[in-house]
Parts: sequence; structure tokens; C-alpha cells
Amino acid sequence: MNNALAAVITVMLKELRDLFRDKRTVRVALLMGPLLTPMMILGLLYMTEKRVSSQLEKPLELPVVGAQNAPNLVAWLGGQNVDVLPAPVDADAAIRSQERDVVLSIGKDYTEDWKNGTPAKVEIIHDTSRQDSDIPVERLEALLRAYSQTMGSLRLVARGVSPAVAVPVRIAHRDLATPESRRGMALAFLPYLLILSGFLGGAYLVVDVTAGERERQSLEPLLATPAARAAIMSGKIAAACAFGMLTLMLTLTMFKISFLLAPQMGVKLDVSIPTIFKLLVVLIPVVLLGTTLLTLIAATAKSVKEAQSYMSVLTLLPLIPTFILLVNPIKNQLWMFAVPFLSQNQLINKLVRSEDITPQEWGIYLAAGLGLGVVLWTLAARMYHREKLAISA
Amino acid sequence: MIEAKNLHKSFASKTGKVVAVDDVSFVAEDGQITGLLGPNGAGKTTTLRMLYSLMQPEPGSVSVDGFDSVRDAEAVRRRLGVLPDARGVYKRLTARENIAYFGRLHQMREVEIAARIATLSKALDMDDFLDRQTEGFSQGQRTKTAIARALVHDPMNVILDEPTNGLDVMTTRGLRDFLRHLREEGRCVIFSSHIMQEVAALCDRIVVIAKGRVVAQGTADELRRQTREDNLEDAFVKLIGSEEGLHA
Repeated sequence: MNNALAAVITVMLKELRDLFRDKRTVRVALLMGPLLTPMMILGLLYMTEKRVSSQLEKPLELPVVGAQNAPNLVAWLGGQNVDVLPAPVDADAAIRSQERDVVLSIGKDYTEDWKNGTPAKVEIIHDTSRQDSDIPVERLEALLRAYSQTMGSLRLVARGVSPAVAVPVRIAHRDLATPESRRGMALAFLPYLLILSGFLGGAYLVVDVTAGERERQSLEPLLATPAARAAIMSGKIAAACAFGMLTLMLTLTMFKISFLLAPQMGVKLDVSIPTIFKLLVVLIPVVLLGTTLLTLIAATAKSVKEAQSYMSVLTLLPLIPTFILLVNPIKNQLWMFAVPFLSQNQLINKLVRSEDITPQEWGIYLAAGLGLGVVLWTLAARMYHREKLAISA
Repeated sequence: MIEAKNLHKSFASKTGKVVAVDDVSFVAEDGQITGLLGPNGAGKTTTLRMLYSLMQPEPGSVSVDGFDSVRDAEAVRRRLGVLPDARGVYKRLTARENIAYFGRLHQMREVEIAARIATLSKALDMDDFLDRQTEGFSQGQRTKTAIARALVHDPMNVILDEPTNGLDVMTTRGLRDFLRHLREEGRCVIFSSHIMQEVAALCDRIVVIAKGRVVAQGTADELRRQTREDNLEDAFVKLIGSEEGLHA
């Protein structure tokens, strides 16, 4: 047993030393992921945040067609942070060409209808397929609703009727979202990024040390040593796991730093040290899963090329639960913590939203995650014992 | 001592079963160099792979110093130093690190490894490039590194698959001296080659293999007598039934 452990450590240290001498690969693996991922997330958040605040606070630019038909309405809008602009030549064309986000059109009959006390028609011209116009349209609608209600109430008062008569039901909201959970929503793709970097962080290394080592003709002499094949394989898996964990730790540290640097964004997640630590614990089974699965593939495949061709499929694997939950949201249930990728998705979401995870959920998760890792390890070890493994070409 | 008894091995291929080794038996004694001579594709590499327990004979058996290669594979590997056909070295490690890695896998202590590397480096004339990363090594430097790596644990039995392949004359001569030195130390040395002159120059016993079978074995003199040829080259041609493998 001690001999096997010594062999595992020897192989692991050798693979890590070999890897770290390949400075370019290490630089790309250690810098690209951990630097780009948080930058991407923060950049996206920053842009969203900026768009929302600027569209909410800036005066709303509103071209009005037929402004002369409703001078009172137009004047009122002017007092509500709206810049009333002259009508474009062709309102529809202005929307289609994305020159304008929204145009208000007031018909000729407006004055007539208004005088008769019948509903006077105004038209909001916009394009729902343009996300950009969501906020301006919403703002304009809210303003028009407010104007309509005020005018309606005034009319009732003029006729000696209480405006409350016209409001049989009053609707109020009680939003139970915690500030943290609202922030978590903004980062729906965070779990995917973390799971993916854990799942494939050590992947290239693990493919290289099995299929690559065979192609470089050094696997046969290695297997002719007295070290047990399972120990050699475990050493290689351990090296890849160590490297994967290092990448993850760097990524999470970068998250922490970027959120410290950008606290004004309002989309703060729970990135306290205990949470970061728990995230790492959640991702350990993912790293194990990725490295053992790829060892299994690399030991079965005939070449590095063949083994790598599985990678693009594996990149999509962690997306499946995210998509399913997107289309068919179901609430947290215990069985979910036993399903790979789905469980990590739920756990990471819970962690960054500062929700509690019960010991039972942890137990099921770790047992299922590590259990699957052990199953894959056993299968991979069996593949490592095949005669064909050592022999290239 | 290495004993091969009735070794058979075949592989499944798309066109059907390919018989690589078809009843090979021989004994390689300690203090002797035994040469496996045969043309390309005769089954030499597959035979050697069964000797160093990478493949299982089906059927047949191999024993190394009395240990069975299937039942006691680990004990067999401890007693063997192997230079396989595949002799890749890790290019980002130095020659010394390559050798030390295998020493650790043989559970040697660091002092033992250092002492053994010093000895092998002197014997194989490696001092110039011992601490260089092996990327960019010449064929000879790579082979020397691979041989030192195979012998780091000071094994009594040494198996080398075509050790002089791709080496220049000077390196080959040096390597031959090294193999003779191993014999003088009382080790059992087996090496394979498709070059007749090489085997004739070195071996105490020759096992001639063709098409997966042993067609003759014995000393050079015995082979000459057996074929009634004065010239070993003619004897070899007669034995394998073709002129293949006569030239380097």
C-alpha cells in the first residue's frame, strides 16, 4: 500500500514538474481562464448596469407625431423628464432603421374624442424584438397611464363622484426577493462557467499524459517499471486534479478581487472567504469527474486527436441542466443533489445567493459526486490494464 | 536467467487473426548475451514484450529468475531492465531527471539513485549532456538516456529491443562494449536485432526467429554446423529462407 502511494506521489510530482516546464501552456491555462472569465462577467454586468441606469435617468427622447392634436398631453410629458422631439418624416421607418427607440403618435380624432369624453387614442410605435427599446417603451407607457388616471380622476371629481369608485381593486406587490437573490439572478451563467472550468481545467493535461505519452513512445517503458498501473494512472489523475484545483482557486480569487474593486455596481454576490471555500468544495467532485472521465476516454482512444474530439461535446455537457432549468424551472428537491452538473448548478446558485445548504444536501452531493468519480476511476483503471494501452501505432 | 516456454501470441485485426508469435522457446543464461535474430516482422518485439510482462503469452509462460511473468509480474519487473522498442524520453526533463524518475518508481532511495546515475553516466559516456533537457538530443543521446533509465535499479536481467537502431558507428561500438561489460558482471542480457553482423559480434547464443517461430538456436559455430555453411551470413539466409535483414 505504501509502495503504491509512493508511486502515485512520484508520478504526480513528475507530471507537475513536466507541465510547469512548459511555460506557455501553463501561462495560457493559468492566466486566460482566471483573468478572462471574471473580466467577462464584470464587463457584462457593467454594461448592463450602465444601460439600465442611463436609460432610466436620462431624459426620454420622444418624437411625437401629431403633437398639435394634444398640446396639453405634450406639455405634461415635457414636465416629466421627456424631451419632446418633432415628428420624423416616416415614423415606422425611423423605428425600423433603429434611429429611434420609440415614437408616440396622436391621431386627428384625439381632440374630438377628448371633448366628447370618449377614450382618445394614442399609439406607441416600437419594435418588441429590440431589447434596447424595452426601457423607453415601459417608461412612456407608465407616463401615459399616469396621465390617463389623473385626467380620469379629475373628470370624476368634476362630476361629483369619488375617484375611488373607479378603482374596485387596488393591486400591491410584496416582493420577497432578498437583495442577495436579486443579485444572483444577474449571474445565471456563473455556475456554468465555474463548473466548466472545473470540469475541463485539468482535461488537456490528463489527455496529454495518457494518450500523449503513448504517442511520444514513453508509456511503454513507464509500464515496464514495477509500479502498479493503477498507481501510475492515479498519479496522473492526481496531477491533473491538482492543476485543475489551482486554476479554480485562481479563478475564484480573481472573482473576489474583481468584486472588491467594483463594489459600486450593486450586483454584489456573496464572495466572502467561507463562501469561496465552499465553492471549492462543491467543485472538487467536478474536477475529479472531469479528469477520470477524460482518462477513461484517453485510455480508450487510439490517439490524442481522437480523445480531444470528445472535448467539444463535453463542453456542452454542463450546459444541459442550465438549459433544462431555464425552460422548465423546478424547485429544489433532494434528488437533484445527486445529479452531476445539476447539483453543482443548484449548490453554486444557493451559495452566491447566501442561502443555507443543509448537511443532508451536502451529504448526498458529496457521496454521489465522489461515488461517480470512484466508478469512473475504476473503469479507467480497467482500461489501463489492457495490453493495447501501452502500444502505439 | 530468463526462460521462455512455448510462447504464442496473436492479434485480432480487420482481416482476421494475425499470428505474431507461434511457439517460441529458449533459455537465456546469466553471464551470457543472447541474441534474438530475425527479419523485420518476425515477432521479435512481441516476444520481448511477453518477456517483460507487458503482454501475456496465450498460451505459454515466461519465468525470470524463477518468477512467473503473469502471476508475479511485479517481481519480474523488479528483476528486469527493459529498453523497449518505444524509447521516448520526457523532453522537458533533463537526462538525469528522466533516469531519477524511473529510480523512484523502483522505490530506490535518492542517494542510491544519485550514485547509480554517476556510475551509468560514466559507463555510457553521458556526462556532457546529463543535465540538459532532452529536447533536441541526438538519437544516440536519447538511446543512452533510455538505457541508463532502464538500468537505474541495477537489474540482473537486461532486455534490449534493437538497441543499436539508428546509432552511428562510434556510438554502436561504445554500446557493444557496454553490453560486454554487463555480461562480465554476470548479468543475463537479451537483445534483438535484424542485423546479422551485430548479433555475430556480440552474442554467446543466437536464437533465430522467422515468421513467429524459432528456426534455429545455438552458438554461432553450432548454427554454421547445423546449416553446413562456413559463413554465418549464408547460414542465416538458409535458416530464414530469404536475404531479408542481412544489411543494416
